[in-house]
Amino acid sequence: MATNSISSSSFRLFTTRIPLSLHNFKTPTLHPTPSKSFLFFKPITFQRLPPTPSSSSSPSPPPSSLQPIEDLPPKLQEIVHLFQSVPEPKAKYEQLLFYGKNLKPLDTRFKTNDNKVQGCVSQVWVRAYLDPNRNVVYEADSDSVLTKGLAALLVQGFSGRPVNEIIRVTPDFVTLLGLQQSLTPSRNNGFLNMLKLMQRKALMLYVEAEKGGGDSGGELGGRGKRIREKLERELEPVELEVEDVSYQHAGHAGVRGGDGETHFNVRVVSREFEGKSLVKRHRLIYGLLQEELDAGLHALSIVAKTPAEVEG
Amino acid sequence: MWLVMEVLLPKLPSFKFPSHSHCCSITSRSSSHVRFGFRRISSLSICASAVNEAVAEPTIDSPSLGHSTRPRFPILHQEVNGSKLVYLDNAATSQKPTAVLKALQNYYEAYNSNVHRGIHFLSAKATDEYESARRKIASFINASDSREIVFTKNASEAINLVAYSWGLSNLKADDEIILTVAEHHSAIVPWQIVAQKVGAVLKFVDLNQDEIPDIEKLKEMLSRKTKIVVVHHVSNVLASVLPIRDIAQWAHDVGAKVLVDACQSVPHMMVDVQNLNADFLVASSHKMCGPTGIGFLYGKIDLLSSMPPFLGGGEMISDVYLDHSTYAEPPSRFEAGTPAIGEAIGLGAAIDYLSGIGMQTIHDYEVELGRYLYERLLSVPNIRIYGPAPSEKVQRAALCSFNVENLHPTDLATFLDQQHGVAIRSGHHCAQPLHRYLGVSSSARASLYFYNTKEDVDNFINALTDTVSFFNSFK
Repeated sequence: MATNSISSSSFRLFTTRIPLSLHNFKTPTLHPTPSKSFLFFKPITFQRLPPTPSSSSSPSPPPSSLQPIEDLPPKLQEIVHLFQSVPEPKAKYEQLLFYGKNLKPLDTRFKTNDNKVQGCVSQVWVRAYLDPNRNVVYEADSDSVLTKGLAALLVQGFSGRPVNEIIRVTPDFVTLLGLQQSLTPSRNNGFLNMLKLMQRKALMLYVEAEKGGGDSGGELGGRGKRIREKLERELEPVELEVEDVSYQHAGHAGVRGGDGETHFNVRVVSREFEGKSLVKRHRLIYGLLQEELDAGLHALSIVAKTPAEVEG
Repeated sequence: MWLVMEVLLPKLPSFKFPSHSHCCSITSRSSSHVRFGFRRISSLSICASAVNEAVAEPTIDSPSLGHSTRPRFPILHQEVNGSKLVYLDNAATSQKPTAVLKALQNYYEAYNSNVHRGIHFLSAKATDEYESARRKIASFINASDSREIVFTKNASEAINLVAYSWGLSNLKADDEIILTVAEHHSAIVPWQIVAQKVGAVLKFVDLNQDEIPDIEKLKEMLSRKTKIVVVHHVSNVLASVLPIRDIAQWAHDVGAKVLVDACQSVPHMMVDVQNLNADFLVASSHKMCGPTGIGFLYGKIDLLSSMPPFLGGGEMISDVYLDHSTYAEPPSRFEAGTPAIGEAIGLGAAIDYLSGIGMQTIHDYEVELGRYLYERLLSVPNIRIYGPAPSEKVQRAALCSFNVENLHPTDLATFLDQQHGVAIRSGHHCAQPLHRYLGVSSSARASLYFYNTKEDVDNFINALTDTVSFFNSFK
């Protein structure tokens, strides 16, 4: 059945980092969220593409294997329709650049190797985390405006959606945009690699959420849990993210001899910070975690905001 | 089917046609009678279509070299993304004239057979053509002996050959290898690998204020510890040309060898290895109108004779026993296994084609067109072109790597391709250290070859201007 082949082919996009047990997925039967049941496949109807004058170079897949638009996340469908309504290639680029321009900038500390899309020509980073409803939130950036535009499309299209919806999207929807985007897997295919990274991250977040019960990527060990508990108890945060990034520092002086759990990124949004300067906020957090610091916690990277600051 | 072939062989002895209808490269038969001392054989390769492939001598009113050669390159006559193709990525690879395509096809159709092994007719013929290609290369670069030409897969493999074979057996701990920051990855990485194995040290020459490798600094770096100097002849990013003759002189004075990466020079100008006095020189076929999958290493015969094998296998042996083997003389010693026979013959045909035009003619044309490209590029606002400015003293190759402020080269190249059919390259051009040195992550590069025309450059500049204003309107 066509949709089965799509779902199994979408899993071919992943690298072997995914634990083997997950390869049992043949159909996306992950947590059926209340709103949709993925076991129910509508009969396939899809829009035939008007032949675009310039689409001769990239071999487009035969229409019958193109994923039906209705299967795409709603925002992505909107984007596809928008691009289809703009027939002239140059105007499409303008549209793309417009998306890129409005992309929320990515904080430098998230421009890590783990978040980097592998590929030769431009630099692209994608960050992903789960919101309280277990939907994936994406942030991205690139030094090339076209790639940034594509990243913005994906971020807009995928952010706030559940994992199962994201991972079953196949890349060929991009041909519907009419941007001459090649689908050939290669190290140079920024778009394809970006999409794959986003899907892989979504899946990893899901796996870790299932395992650890924590709601932001990364299963926390003992110390991580203690940090979280302490901050939750003392600061009653509106938002709290604790991320173990010790692996990024493995091997340097502060870590040697320890057993991991030495470096954390902490993001706290709490009323407790109101009226306090940045220095005071950091001191507050360090004070709360003094025990951990004495016991081998080496460094914290802290983002401490008040709810008002985050809304602005 | 009998083919009528027209033969134009000034000054070369006449010979018998073979009795079969196989088309053969006439020059190959005759060049075996030619003494090496000729800088190049201006002979013509005639094949199946029996058309004179040579290009008319340029006269005042005749079309430019670009215009007269373009018809020979079928690939150039197509549309991409709705616009006529403007191919400006020749430093990455060149296009092939029909003469070369036909030579390849003819090889497989008429006399494909394994070389050096068989006794039968086809095998003898294939061997003949293959060895003839080797002689053509030797003659093309004025090597003193065709045994000094080793066929490899490409220039990268040739450099690896020297690194592993000569390097591993001649370099010791604390020996120094001198390179420039502008070297191609293929010239750097094999030496990093070998240096790590033996404990040798790599030293890099920076650029001077003209953005050319600093030759004075190179001279200072040389010492008795230096064992080899690895340098490009022409830079694929900076378009600068290095004074190899001088460098070789200085290197030899301290007892060091010189390996010249001639990938960007051999296709575009006359290269005379004896004049340069290089110990090793490498080049790739695909950059000089030949097929991919074949390249060569030139090495002085006494050097090659002293080097141990690189890859082991058939062909490179003399006698094989169960517990040991003895090895063949160079060049066979370094050519294990069945070679890319058709491709080598194709390279031979490419050399014939280029020689038919004349490397001096090609070079002169490119100097002029390259200068035109540079000057027109300068007119683009906020552009930075890397490498030296062309002048009386400083010659540039016909390529320009550049960046436009606030515009990522990938965006530029993508738009140029999709809106205008212009093919340039964007990235680091296999020269990450150089880009790091220049302080940029990547650059765009337009590179010409003799079949490009002034119109190509004009189209490129118009497209570039349009591209820049498109992206600027978004700031």
